[in-house]
Amino acid sequence: MSRVAGWMAGRIGGTVTALLFGLPSGSGPYDMALAPGPVAPGARGSARLVFADSPFGVAATADGHLRYEIRITAKALPDPASLGSYHAFVAWEVSADLKDWTRLGVVTNGVSTVGIATLNKFLLVIAAEADSGVDHHAGPTVLHGSSPSTWLQRFLNHPMFRGAPG
Amino acid sequence: MRGIVMALALCGLAATASAQDPGAPVPQTDHKTGGSPNIQMISHVVNHPGAWKAADIEIEPEMNRPYVYVSGFVNNDMQIYDIKDPAHPKMLVDWSIENPELHRGIGAMDGKSFKIGDHYYYAQSYQFMQGSPDAELGAVIFDVTGLPDPKSVKVVARINYPAAPGGFHNTFAYKHSDGRVLYFATVGEAKALVYDLAKVVAGDTAGALIGAVPNPTPFKMFGGGSYHDFYVGYDVARHRDVFYGAGLGGYSAWDVSKPEAPTQLFTITGFGMDIAHTFTPSPDGNYAVTETEYQYTPLRVWDLKEGQDGTRKNLDVPISAWTADWHDLSHNHEVRWPYVFVSAYEDGFQVFDLKDPKHPKTDGWYFTCGCQHEHGFGGNPDVNWEGNSVEQGAFGVDIRNADGLIVLSDMRSGLWIFRMKGFTGWDGTKIGTTNVSSVQDWAHAPGGMAPAQ
Repeated sequence: MSRVAGWMAGRIGGTVTALLFGLPSGSGPYDMALAPGPVAPGARGSARLVFADSPFGVAATADGHLRYEIRITAKALPDPASLGSYHAFVAWEVSADLKDWTRLGVVTNGVSTVGIATLNKFLLVIAAEADSGVDHHAGPTVLHGSSPSTWLQRFLNHPMFRGAPG
Repeated sequence: MRGIVMALALCGLAATASAQDPGAPVPQTDHKTGGSPNIQMISHVVNHPGAWKAADIEIEPEMNRPYVYVSGFVNNDMQIYDIKDPAHPKMLVDWSIENPELHRGIGAMDGKSFKIGDHYYYAQSYQFMQGSPDAELGAVIFDVTGLPDPKSVKVVARINYPAAPGGFHNTFAYKHSDGRVLYFATVGEAKALVYDLAKVVAGDTAGALIGAVPNPTPFKMFGGGSYHDFYVGYDVARHRDVFYGAGLGGYSAWDVSKPEAPTQLFTITGFGMDIAHTFTPSPDGNYAVTETEYQYTPLRVWDLKEGQDGTRKNLDVPISAWTADWHDLSHNHEVRWPYVFVSAYEDGFQVFDLKDPKHPKTDGWYFTCGCQHEHGFGGNPDVNWEGNSVEQGAFGVDIRNADGLIVLSDMRSGLWIFRMKGFTGWDGTKIGTTNVSSVQDWAHAPGGMAPAQ
């Protein structure tokens, strides 16, 4: 399985990244491809990070984290009731260790803008939930993706800097 | 007369050209089925509904623990089967990483069973991509002592390696001559990691990383050169623990008698050796079978004696080669000298022997994939990992030495169990060599140099 080395190399660059991770050609560093969850294999979607309103040029929290609204375009989301006792799709900002889930807003087929996301790196999970107002995640995933920043590596992880065996 | 000679000469050329026939169609290599008469198919389990079923496979060595572990590959799970009745495997456990649908990567790759004291364990390696949850996770360790009770199976440790996200691709559990149970793991750096598993199961995962085996092959100059796979075995004649590594750049052997400070023995490098994949020696370390991971390449057979005795630092000419079908590629293998059991991707389960190492001979086969040629793994989750490689079909194989039972995992078709007629077990001492294989004697250190745990 040496082909693993291909994606393990983690090359970052416009075309390579777009092809490797399913983004449309020409997608930029604010775009996210969304993959369907197992309960909704026909669902499709993408998302774009948009700076939240701010009197300054860049929206940021007091401790320096960027503040984004997320413009989600979803297609072929099923009726949530067809998945069980669910009545809405809710977007969640999720930490990379899956421990922290923050509600971002309601998602429907078409374009929905949710937010505000403030983690440096996060997963975007859209799940069927019992109610549009829930503040705790419990339902099945219908779409999910990763913020573009998750593809950034630590400096010392770059292949150039790890040649010397320790 | 001259004209007759010319006519005969032209006829001869025509006959030669016909025999070579460069325009002949390539033989059909799709959807191979069936097997040789000496291979008995005992059972087959389609273990997942999707296009991809399994990566590697492990069988416990003791007859009173009839358990088989199947790594679920992109399904992100590991399954434990009870094969007390090999004709009717019964799934006991299907454990998945939490929130599997949010993970991206090739998932559950390789599993190794081991024993420390009175407890039995299983280590499941994982590989998740950068950007996925658990990208730093290398392995999940389970206490499986209480099998067949599925509720008794517990996660006791997780090994993370944040320095190089991407997880562990291959692993090897080894009973070292100093008595410790060690865990060798590949990682995305130019070295293999060495963990003391007693410390891992005790909860000291940070202190368990006791050493690393460098990959000295030329790819290191480019800042890469990680290992892909390895075997560790005790060299009885030379009284040393030897690590046989395969990775980017070639193969290398290391004396790991002191695993905190490995010393290099020799390498195998040369043209065609750059994508070195697997390196499995004979029980005495005098010969080895290697795989390189590209289509059309055969398994190569090497005479290692000049490397082992220090006469040569690099070997570059194999003594023979074997392939099931030159169109394809053979994958992992287990050596039970003189037999080599191969999980041969599209060519399923294959067996050849090295009774004469210069002339490998095919002994049996059973096609398990039934797949379309060159429609294999593609390395991209966004297209369900589908591609045009020959990396599909039989992935892993394992042998229970006690009775010769053979288990095989097929990426496309799942779990298979076989027997080979006349092969009722393996003990090296009964055939005039040392009893060294991938199967470990957890109760006794090899070489008899350390007391049993």
